[in-house]
Amino acid sequence: MERRTFVKSALVLLSSTALAAPTLAAGPISWWYETATPEQQGVISRNIIERFNAAHPDNTLSIDYRGAQLDNQMRVALLSGSGPDIVYTAGPSYVAPMAQAGQLLPLDSYAEQFGWYDRVLPVFIEMGKYDGQLFALPKTYETLGLYYNATMFEEHGWTPPTTIAELETVADAMLAEDIVPFSSGNALWRPTNEHYVTLAINAIAGPDNVYKALKGEIPWTSEPFVAAITKLNEWWAKGYFGPNYFSLNGEQQVAELAGGRAGMMPSGTWQFQHINTYFPPANAEAGFIGFPSVEGEPVFPLGVGSTFSIAATSQNPDGAAAAIDFIFSDETYGLMNTEWQGEWNTPLSDLSGVTLGEDVLPLYTEAMQTLAQSVAQDEYGYTTWTFLPPATVSFVVSGIEEVWLGRTTVEQYLQQWDATFQQELAEGKVPAIPAR
Amino acid sequence: MHRFYVLPTLLINVVIILAPALLTIALAFFRWDGIGMPVFIGLDNFKALWADRVFWTALANNILWTLMFLTVPIGIGLLAATLLLVARRGSMFFQVVYFLPMIIATAILARIWQGMIYSPVSGVNGLLQRMGFPTLDPLTQPSTALVGIATVDLWHWWGFLCVIFFAALRQVPQEQIEAARIEGASFWQLMRYVLLPGIRSTITLMMIMTVIWSFLVFDFVYILTQGGPAFSSEVLSTLAYRSAFYDLAVGKAAAVAVIISIFGLIATAFYIREQSREFEQ
Repeated sequence: MERRTFVKSALVLLSSTALAAPTLAAGPISWWYETATPEQQGVISRNIIERFNAAHPDNTLSIDYRGAQLDNQMRVALLSGSGPDIVYTAGPSYVAPMAQAGQLLPLDSYAEQFGWYDRVLPVFIEMGKYDGQLFALPKTYETLGLYYNATMFEEHGWTPPTTIAELETVADAMLAEDIVPFSSGNALWRPTNEHYVTLAINAIAGPDNVYKALKGEIPWTSEPFVAAITKLNEWWAKGYFGPNYFSLNGEQQVAELAGGRAGMMPSGTWQFQHINTYFPPANAEAGFIGFPSVEGEPVFPLGVGSTFSIAATSQNPDGAAAAIDFIFSDETYGLMNTEWQGEWNTPLSDLSGVTLGEDVLPLYTEAMQTLAQSVAQDEYGYTTWTFLPPATVSFVVSGIEEVWLGRTTVEQYLQQWDATFQQELAEGKVPAIPAR
Repeated sequence: MHRFYVLPTLLINVVIILAPALLTIALAFFRWDGIGMPVFIGLDNFKALWADRVFWTALANNILWTLMFLTVPIGIGLLAATLLLVARRGSMFFQVVYFLPMIIATAILARIWQGMIYSPVSGVNGLLQRMGFPTLDPLTQPSTALVGIATVDLWHWWGFLCVIFFAALRQVPQEQIEAARIEGASFWQLMRYVLLPGIRSTITLMMIMTVIWSFLVFDFVYILTQGGPAFSSEVLSTLAYRSAFYDLAVGKAAAVAVIISIFGLIATAFYIREQSREFEQ
């Protein structure tokens, strides 16, 4: 090719690209997602990606699975201005610093346009706000409760506990029969530790005290929290968590419970996705109740495991908002929750238009209805990963192991928890806490 | 003109190594969450590390790790390489077998050991427990977690050293080995007076590199225990990672990285001194 011809061709190619640029920029919508198995990727592809692209021919939604390190990759990408259009965070505590740094687009105009204020439970709208503006919508909301092996309970004549005293009585009876009371483990996910801390502070110190501490009205070193963590430590010392806590992963917890080697499992609603895999083959039936509390009323700590936002640098924010809105539709809710329970419980305020498949566990439907009811009535607790700022969460997770293994005291643990929290509170990193 | 030949590599080094290194050093003097604007705080990050007992645990673990890797794999590697040299039959086969763990991805190796060896549910450990042996998963005990991780790394590492040492041993003049044998030298005397002095520079290089790599260790620790339980297997790199990406304390993480680099620099200085001594000889 002659030099002149080459230059001409290059100029034509460049100009055509430049002319086409505005149209192309409006088309693609990128979305980075966390870990998903090939089957789960198929569920997302069938029920979200393909349906959205068919309904929106001008946009092309694409998903990129980034694995367990999504948070870290997202932070680096946003910092360099090269992140995806849809920003998927690990929870509201990650949203505040990003909003503070101007990396996210305010969603208020889209909320008006798509009617999110009416369609999403108000508590979650509040949680997605920073400095009075809406920056995030939760992908799913969840709670922690107590799963139990209903077949084992029936055989032993045990009744599901409603108070802490009853919980300890059943757990002690299990220990006497060489059954691990709490099927638990943090082998692949160290933050599992905070599930138990969350349960202890909500069930023993109570949600009102947690709320006050989150607002900075009382310190985390207050007596109710000392009592809560002391009780949690007692449970560890008595062997409620079993000998293999640091070896078992989340799915193995369900297998241990179904197999009768453990009797109860304090865990989140995301575990419903594994119930049908392990209980029917073991000829056992699962039960699920709110976690017992000192007063006898079950506590449902509210958790938001992940959120949707739009990057401030997005080339197609309208498309990204349309994609988020599509996920928040009744049809998508029904399809996703039919095939994948526990991870797609989008906080819709009215579920009457949702149709779930026949295979969905009634236990799951009941649990989610109870949770929705407790949220609507403002009777919920607080999960650490949703309401605590990042460094405090990190310390809560690592520090509790030191308490359990006798390397620090309950008081020292709470002192450092409080010091870390107060610093982040002063820096404006505590997520929005809806009024109680 | 030939001086310009170094330009491309120099440019790559400046962009990929020098610039990020200088930025990291600078960040060690700032408070930064990795998202907003950094704030200059002088030596506060280093002061915070000085008062942080987890930092001292991590540093002690790195030193322990270095000592383990300076002795166990180098010892096994040297012994196996010498045996390969002495008994040449099948040496190619054994070299391949010894080297095999090196070509398997770290993450896969770690998961194999975690799930198939150590796990009390799905691993050999669980099988032994069900047979009545009182075995424990070493990763779950604060006293054994670091050794449990090091075992996995040692298993995959010593074969590499063996192959390197074997290649070096083959360069030792055959006449010296033959002469020693004619003089009636035993196996250990052959090792002590002929083979080891013959590959001294290779051993020194591998020892220096071991020190550098030991202070950079991250992958096996992060995959197997994430520094737990209760920080018992925390090393400097996992501390830096947790600080940067979980605590959002990028300045503190940079301070840890600077300390890691100091150990690497000391080891590099030793290496350069050794090299210049050899050139002088």
